[in-house]
Amino acid sequence: MLTFSRNKLVSIYRKDDRILLVRGILEDDIYGMEMDISISMPDLEIVSIQGKWTRMENSECPRAVPFLQEAVGFRLLEDGFRQRVKKIVGRKSCRHFANILLECCDAAEDAAEVIRAEGEKEGKGTFTLQNSLEEEKEAVIATGPDKDDLDRSMAKPVKGGSAEGLVIDLHVHTSEASPCSSAPLGDLVTKARRIGLDGICLTDHNHVWDPRTLAELRERHDFLILGGNEIATDQGDMLVFGFDEDINEIMRLDKLKKKVLKTGGFIIAAHPFRGFLTFGIGQLGLTPEKAMERPLFKHVDAVEVLNSKVSDKENRFSSQVAEGLDLPGTGGSDAHEVEEVGVYATRFSGVITNEEELVEALKGGNYSPLAFRAEIGAKE
Amino acid sequence: MTDILCFSRNNATTVEQPDEQTMVSSCCLQDTLTDLRLVIHVKTPHLEITNIAGEIRRSSEPEDLRIHETLRKVIGVRVGPGIKKIITGLMGTSAIEKKLVFMIGECCNGIILSFTKQVLLSAPEDKEKERDYFANMVKNSPRLYNSCAALSPESPLMDGIEPP
Repeated sequence: MLTFSRNKLVSIYRKDDRILLVRGILEDDIYGMEMDISISMPDLEIVSIQGKWTRMENSECPRAVPFLQEAVGFRLLEDGFRQRVKKIVGRKSCRHFANILLECCDAAEDAAEVIRAEGEKEGKGTFTLQNSLEEEKEAVIATGPDKDDLDRSMAKPVKGGSAEGLVIDLHVHTSEASPCSSAPLGDLVTKARRIGLDGICLTDHNHVWDPRTLAELRERHDFLILGGNEIATDQGDMLVFGFDEDINEIMRLDKLKKKVLKTGGFIIAAHPFRGFLTFGIGQLGLTPEKAMERPLFKHVDAVEVLNSKVSDKENRFSSQVAEGLDLPGTGGSDAHEVEEVGVYATRFSGVITNEEELVEALKGGNYSPLAFRAEIGAKE
Repeated sequence: MTDILCFSRNNATTVEQPDEQTMVSSCCLQDTLTDLRLVIHVKTPHLEITNIAGEIRRSSEPEDLRIHETLRKVIGVRVGPGIKKIITGLMGTSAIEKKLVFMIGECCNGIILSFTKQVLLSAPEDKEKERDYFANMVKNSPRLYNSCAALSPESPLMDGIEPP
């Protein structure tokens, strides 16, 4: 017996030489929705969009419909189109509307190819798809922070370290180097200092911060800013420290481990039990004992047991698994917004002033995760 | 110019659970240019992909794709958040590989939604109870907060819920 089914139907016809009319229907066990889109040719730009629900998850789902208009003006062949749809339509409107929109747009791209091929066959010399946007493309390269960002945070610094140890948020994403983050580095530092953190660690996705830039940032902000990297592997995301190789592919975790061992670095399994957006761990019948069998734990040096992007239940589960495996636990906010920095952090007993000392401290094992904001009652 | 379609697509995804430890999700994509079939086997409770098979029945891409070898790269990957990024990175970005990645994503999404369906079967219809139900869901899974319009801070369902 089927436990779930989803059917999507996309139909496309040419209104005229300049407009494709695309109709999409999604029907599954939970949702029913329809969408009508006009897409201009040859630039494949969304010029209008209408959507409606036929069945929905809850009474507030209709709030999603007006936000579909945010996709008007998107161009299908532009770099990052799919990510923009997922981020803007998926989050502001509904991820199932984003799903049928992407299906419609993917089909529209193919339809445009069919039209082009037919035009060529008939000798009409119609438009070419691929070159129309090539000239407009601009490479988006993650770079270090702007000078302006560096100048933003000039509040009175709080020197790191106290009798209780050094508290560092080990998992922070900046808007300068992580497309999914909207937190400028300067604002993160200001906030971190204000709430009493002793330092933050920049762990942007598959991004290596230049050690000279980091040293300059520490100097400029008079604040402990350390570099790490959140590397995507076949076994999930890993926080890696003491490893400067720029990895631009999904790497097998065992391969990454070999590389990191060579540089004397350190690997922390990031949010290893981050769940889906509706069902919990309990439904799968996953126990800590079973979870400990996962191959990934053979290759990591520690486990992130406090992460603000997962539920308390998932954090507790990570903690139980780490304890069972006798692996140390760390805490980090996984901040993608300025307000999120310092929700969780890690308390070290010794002094840390740079990345080398951070790796030494991590290997030493003399640290513990903490719910920093809750513990100190930090408020802006 | 008439209203005759210049392109059409049907994309069907199904999920079944032949035994307690196995889920099978299949995706069939048929359109004017392409006919692709894909089946993945997932083992619970880890939701690890244990087997995958695919077939290109029709394609406009003149590629000599070794589909079997390409697909096998995802064996061992767990169905979970971020899987799209992982399988894209493992499989490649040619036109046909993109379609296969998309279909694997559909299969995985189907598995996730089959669990979602079970959760939603207990959702109340009464307005007041509905608010409590979704508020509780968000408390248990903070990533849901502001993840869509219905669960945005402006939605009545989120009344009284503090941002995580």
